[in-house]
Amino acid sequence: MDFDFTKEQLMFKQELIRFAKKEIVPRVQEHDLKGQFDFESFKKLGEFGILGLHFPEELGGGGADVITTVLAGEALGEAGVDGGLTLAYGAHTFLCADTIFRHGTEAQKQEYIPKLASGEWIGCMGLTEPNAGSDVASMTATAEKKGDKYVLNGNKMFITNGPIADVAVLYAKTRPELQHAGISAFIVKKGTKGFSAGPPLIKMGVRTSHTSELIFQDCEIPSENLLGNEGDGFLMAMQTVEWDRSALLAPFVGSATYLLKKCAQYAKGRVQFGRPIAQFQAIKHKLADIRIFGEAARSLVYRIAWCKDQGRPLNHLEAAVAKLYVGDWSMAPTFDAVLIHGGYGYCHEYDVERIFRDSRLAPIGGGTSDIQKMIISKLI
Amino acid sequence: MNFDFTQQDLMLFKEINDIMLGLAGERTLEEKNPLSAESLVRKALGRLGNSSYLKLGIVKDEDIPGLCAMMGAMEIVSSHSPSIYLSIEMSTRLFGRIISTFGNEEQKNKWLSPVLSGKAIGAVALSEKAMNIDNDLMAATGIRENGFVKVKGEKSYVVNGPVADFTAVAGMMENKPALFIIEKGTKGLILGKRLETIGFDGTVFSGLTIENCRINEDQVIGPFGDKSILNTLRIWENQIILGSCLGMMKSSFESARTYAKTHKTGGKPIIAYQEVGFRLAEMLTLFQTSQLFAYRAVSAAEGKNREAEVLTYCAKVFCSEAAEKVSGWALQILSGEGYISGNPAERAYRCAKYNQIAGTSTEISRVKIGDAATGA
Repeated sequence: MDFDFTKEQLMFKQELIRFAKKEIVPRVQEHDLKGQFDFESFKKLGEFGILGLHFPEELGGGGADVITTVLAGEALGEAGVDGGLTLAYGAHTFLCADTIFRHGTEAQKQEYIPKLASGEWIGCMGLTEPNAGSDVASMTATAEKKGDKYVLNGNKMFITNGPIADVAVLYAKTRPELQHAGISAFIVKKGTKGFSAGPPLIKMGVRTSHTSELIFQDCEIPSENLLGNEGDGFLMAMQTVEWDRSALLAPFVGSATYLLKKCAQYAKGRVQFGRPIAQFQAIKHKLADIRIFGEAARSLVYRIAWCKDQGRPLNHLEAAVAKLYVGDWSMAPTFDAVLIHGGYGYCHEYDVERIFRDSRLAPIGGGTSDIQKMIISKLI
Repeated sequence: MNFDFTQQDLMLFKEINDIMLGLAGERTLEEKNPLSAESLVRKALGRLGNSSYLKLGIVKDEDIPGLCAMMGAMEIVSSHSPSIYLSIEMSTRLFGRIISTFGNEEQKNKWLSPVLSGKAIGAVALSEKAMNIDNDLMAATGIRENGFVKVKGEKSYVVNGPVADFTAVAGMMENKPALFIIEKGTKGLILGKRLETIGFDGTVFSGLTIENCRINEDQVIGPFGDKSILNTLRIWENQIILGSCLGMMKSSFESARTYAKTHKTGGKPIIAYQEVGFRLAEMLTLFQTSQLFAYRAVSAAEGKNREAEVLTYCAKVFCSEAAEKVSGWALQILSGEGYISGNPAERAYRCAKYNQIAGTSTEISRVKIGDAATGA
């Protein structure tokens, strides 16, 4: 066994942290306060090569392996990039672009991947519906084949990048009677008649990520916008889980390191009862718990990434374990971080407040903790 | 990066598992009677001595797997018997490692070879009743006198205390830490009564009184230039505790899972009820996370990573607290059967607390991790 990164991976990580601290982090607080998507930072991520890191170079990507790609997510978290931007990047790259890359025709890949990899276009993925979340197979959005077109009808909900996306990977039923086997995937461009996005939802956290409803009313798309074959949609959606359990969890690992540094720094400087609070055991214990969470989560996330690099089929049990641990245990360190900062931790000016709010999504998004428990209990 | 064990590792695990199954037969391995317990430990040592198990982490050889495999093998032994595991590990991976790392060739021939071949039991006497060796100086001392070294002191909670053939007693010599190797039967080595403990039924703990024990100078390892030797011993002890935790979680989880899949109520196995199924999911999550944490900690130590010490503390806190949770939840799932003595969950639940106290306690570990974060 070997848990080490290569020298090149570590150099890449440090470079990305430097870049993020300089170009992105100074803009985080203001955008979070105003609930604004940071287009400029997103574009910069594209320019740095993050948005298409794992795609082949001939499609505008970086040709990186999965571990390096996941490490990028960790680096962003460690630099102090907020959960909203990392979520936006995650949905764009791994839920939208990667689905097109994996299942698209050559023509589809050529049309969409370079623009998504560069950040020229922003992508989103429409799977969840107002009445179909954990039970995604019960979705009611339909895609009816009419001649050389599909007509889409239905609503999607909680769609990351929904209001700002240029292209959506949408899941709808071509054969409703087949339940999950009747789900197909489509590419829908912004501006298509009958396709609209609702206003951004006002959320507790990840506020720089714009989330909304997507509405399809007799939306006609060419039949060549079908991704893969009819009926393949559910499997495609499940395959995004690999990234969900690695790249989308990696920012939490990095964020734990960021939290630890921030808390240690604050605790060393804050003097009460004649000494820095870092000298009190109660504070040391909280710092320790933050560190322990980060280190525990790290191995779980990179196990998924490493297996993917080996070309192995996803181990659903291990994936669910990773999501469950990060989901359920990531909030406690943020709680401790706010507590270490006292009253200041309750103020927006201090990052720990935002990270506390952002972390609440962890046991919900990408498959709730209860769903992970259901998966694990069925597989054991 | 690589998350797989090698084929060699997997073959070792099978071999160890077969040995432990053979040892168990139809009797309990958690033998309360001290004479029977000692006999069982010696039998286990003898059988494991025929494999490479006792050499793991001690002998460097291309045929002997590294520390991650050591942890995987430890998990197996611990899952069969927490008591035999603890007795064996304190003998080989603590006492044996001291001699292997710091002893000269003569000392290795005398004390290491019999321990690694399973023919002798070692013990290490570190703790003293009134103090925490992390913060205070040890009261046990060794003084050179007429070509010998006179050792005196009192030690507490010594695993294998009453049954060890060789005991490494930690103390101060010329104001520096040293280890005094005292053989069974040496005049002045007074073995305390066996301590009754909440868990580890088949492990023999006692205090030791060393009353002006005269040993040869070549029975002294050290003195060492600074206290770092004590830190090293604690890290090794913490690694042993990690293996103990993994084994407890393995046996608890597996017994609860088997029960949940076979015990029916309302016409279906209880695993089909979310209260049980979801709890098992949480248990497995803690168990798998602990495994990876333990492997990573020993891998860092093996690679002499500068973060190895703090990672070991992190793993120790996580795994020992997880073991208590997992075994407690397993007992709950097993319900009335879980409350009856002798089942793996009940046994693990009683043993789990030791792992939070022994080695570097979870409190001290958290302090050290916190200090590492602030650079204190």
